[in-house]
Amino acid sequence: MAITAHLGAPRRRISVPAALAAFAGLAAMLPLAGVAAAALFGDTADIAARDVARYAATSAWLALLVGIVTAILGSLAAWLIVMCRFPGRNMFAWALALPLAAPAFALAYAYADMFDVAGPLRIWMRASLGFDLPFGMRGLGGAVFVLSCAFYPYVYLAMRAAFLNQSVNVLEAARTLGCSGWRAFGRVALPMARPALAAGVALAVMETLADYGAVQFLSVQTLTTGVVRAWSVYGSTVSAARFALPLLATAALLLWIERRGRKGSTHEAGNARWRALGLKTLSGVPAWLATGFCLLLLTAGLLLPVGWLLAHALDTRPDWPRLLRASTHSLGLGTAGAFVTVTLAAMLALGGRRLPMAARLASLGYATPGAVMAIGLLAPAGVIWNLMPGSGYGVAIALLIYAYAARLMAAALEPIDAGLTRVTPSMIHAARSLGRSEIGGALAVELPIVRGAMLTAGLIVFIDVLKELPATLILRPFNFDTLAVTANNYALDERLEQAGVPSVMIVLLVLPAVIWLTRKIALSRPGF
Amino acid sequence: MSPPALSVREVSRFYGGRAAVADASLDLRAGRITCLLGPSGCGKSTLLRLMAGLEPIDAGEIAIDGKVVSTPTGIVPPEDRGIGLVFQDFALFPHLNVTDNIGFGLKAVSAESRRQQVAALLTRFQLEHLAGSWPHMLSGGEQQRVAIARALARAPAALLLDEPFSGLDGHLRSAVRQSVLADLRAAAAAVLIVTHDPEEAMLIADDLLLMAQGRILQAGSPEDCYLRPASIAAARLLGEASVLPARIEGGAAHTPFGIVPARGLPDGQASAMVRPEAVRIAENGASAMVCDVRFGGAFHLVTFLSEGTALTARTTGSPPPTGALVKVALDPARTVIYADALAGRQSHEPIRHFESESQA
Repeated sequence: MAITAHLGAPRRRISVPAALAAFAGLAAMLPLAGVAAAALFGDTADIAARDVARYAATSAWLALLVGIVTAILGSLAAWLIVMCRFPGRNMFAWALALPLAAPAFALAYAYADMFDVAGPLRIWMRASLGFDLPFGMRGLGGAVFVLSCAFYPYVYLAMRAAFLNQSVNVLEAARTLGCSGWRAFGRVALPMARPALAAGVALAVMETLADYGAVQFLSVQTLTTGVVRAWSVYGSTVSAARFALPLLATAALLLWIERRGRKGSTHEAGNARWRALGLKTLSGVPAWLATGFCLLLLTAGLLLPVGWLLAHALDTRPDWPRLLRASTHSLGLGTAGAFVTVTLAAMLALGGRRLPMAARLASLGYATPGAVMAIGLLAPAGVIWNLMPGSGYGVAIALLIYAYAARLMAAALEPIDAGLTRVTPSMIHAARSLGRSEIGGALAVELPIVRGAMLTAGLIVFIDVLKELPATLILRPFNFDTLAVTANNYALDERLEQAGVPSVMIVLLVLPAVIWLTRKIALSRPGF
Repeated sequence: MSPPALSVREVSRFYGGRAAVADASLDLRAGRITCLLGPSGCGKSTLLRLMAGLEPIDAGEIAIDGKVVSTPTGIVPPEDRGIGLVFQDFALFPHLNVTDNIGFGLKAVSAESRRQQVAALLTRFQLEHLAGSWPHMLSGGEQQRVAIARALARAPAALLLDEPFSGLDGHLRSAVRQSVLADLRAAAAAVLIVTHDPEEAMLIADDLLLMAQGRILQAGSPEDCYLRPASIAAARLLGEASVLPARIEGGAAHTPFGIVPARGLPDGQASAMVRPEAVRIAENGASAMVCDVRFGGAFHLVTFLSEGTALTARTTGSPPPTGALVKVALDPARTVIYADALAGRQSHEPIRHFESESQA
């Protein structure tokens, strides 16, 4: 009776979900491999190693200073929100993350204009106050200010989650051992949240290194501006790749820090017993200081610059047909990018249990600046264009969406993975024993359960695509402008009032999604 | 005799050189409930996963309805085996209501016959009023009925249940157990229930399998396994057992607490396995001193001391006072003698009573 011809091989059966995950992971890696290959095997570069070193030093200073400032601002805000009760607290809990709706270049335009030496503010200061500010926005200091305003929410969100997860018992123990509230923060809460701080700062630094629009406008020469300039001015992929290589290495390092930090914080959460925190109610001057601090962050990160741009935009006569076309392109790319990225991320998530390596590969893409991603795709693009001349438009759009997907897959993977924790291994085995194949079970059980998480993932991608500038600049087809590209073009021509319109349009388009996401994050835990 | 619905032949499974399941053999037959009893970590859940096809086997063979489904070189995937599985956490799909959970496995049939089949199962498991409910709204017992109905919907050759009652509250447990067993018997499927609770296993099982350290120690009826355990290890799985030093002379074993028949065993050193209820106060017994008395509700735990050996017994009725000198005897039906000379054989080799029992 031992007829075994109908039996499949026991171990090396190809698993469809694992194969899909491998495909998605490799898709995210391909551009990075392209960059490394171009940098290492490219023939001649038009730039000296000295230039790369100079740009790298600027990038390092910028990253360091933005890291320090966002660490302080984000941690302080998170501690106030988690531990104290003051006017506006419940609103600030989610509103403090809203600056994520504004692209960094929009902040740069607004602040550069506001603090322009020949601008009305400085003229008024010189005339009425008799002194001038000792700094301008165009330079490293200005860039640190602008990027800190734009990126502190990453630290705020990470630290807020960490403080909420901390065991109240530990903090109360510190109080009984003679620590005041602030000393308990410094001696217990902050050290315990160190992994989360590292993770949040790593995200802020990743974004800082990836930024092109803001630093370029503020005349700070970083590696990312180097990448774009090498490509756009010298037309040299090899030079661009040489600028990109240190960024790639830094990205890997930051990613390692971020993942390690996250692991540490989840470990902490596992030990913590959650209980409603004994909130300290602030009154009088401390309450006003707390409210004022939060309001200042929100104002500096969103209200003031966007309001400034909006006020000036109202004075202009915008080129509506051009802006309408750009919005259509932005929305189309955002939607298509979200769709493709979430599909790939879902493949990664469903196959991830069998192939954790694939997800790790994809997360390297997340740490990689968009400009680097685009440079990595130029070589394969060149091949396709040579093979199929005249296919330029479609191929360019496809490559652009591919670049978004490769960069944002890991960001989309995170909520989907979190949603999948609701699926226990026994549910998957139950589906198998009820007659579903591996892939069939994934489609019938896991996919419906993470539907909501996929919407969240799609929104995250949509927001980032609309704000994205360097990869779009490099890969877009000729005359295909998005809102971000339009804003950048106006800004390059020093037509800041005109640049404000598309910038504000981006904010208005993504703001509903950002509000929905931040409120969801803020309300996901009880306790305030 | 009909062929077994599921048969496992000398199956082994290794994890990094350690055998999680070693040389296990068993048969499941339609209409009978088999219990697999063992301490946690003994490999019983692994054995269940091997039967379900969730893991490959490293040695041996598994067949369902006479058709080989697992060998070391090949495996029929779980979805093509026709084995029903009920998980410890029930594993209901949270995004589907009760009706859709039960109908999940009925893929190929038409919508109408699917609806009828689900309706019939809802009725059979008294779940009609919950047809539209979501899993998180159900009590533990209701979730379990849904899980079993879902597994039975495909009319599996065998139904495997992993610790089905361990997730239920104590006071619900026996009531739920009664109704589930009635449902399982009505289904007339071959049923395997994995448990670590000896009392539960003996109450439920038609056939009992004792497992420890990856091996099946004994297979037989619950009475057989309890009263005639194949080894001291097997005896301990089913309940408290004291082991006394003994000496066999001419077919009788001499213990500190009296003489027990030991027909057919070689003379020499031996061990006596004594169940706590085997000790009786008897006029013509051996002398012993009462050194401790504990009140345990329905019984007393009395510790006797004789020839420097202590023996704890369960007694009903009023116990002797501490310090009293009494005469005790051992009930030969609940005392088993193991000749030390045969110890090596007894501890490993399973004695199979199984075939004859199931024929009866």
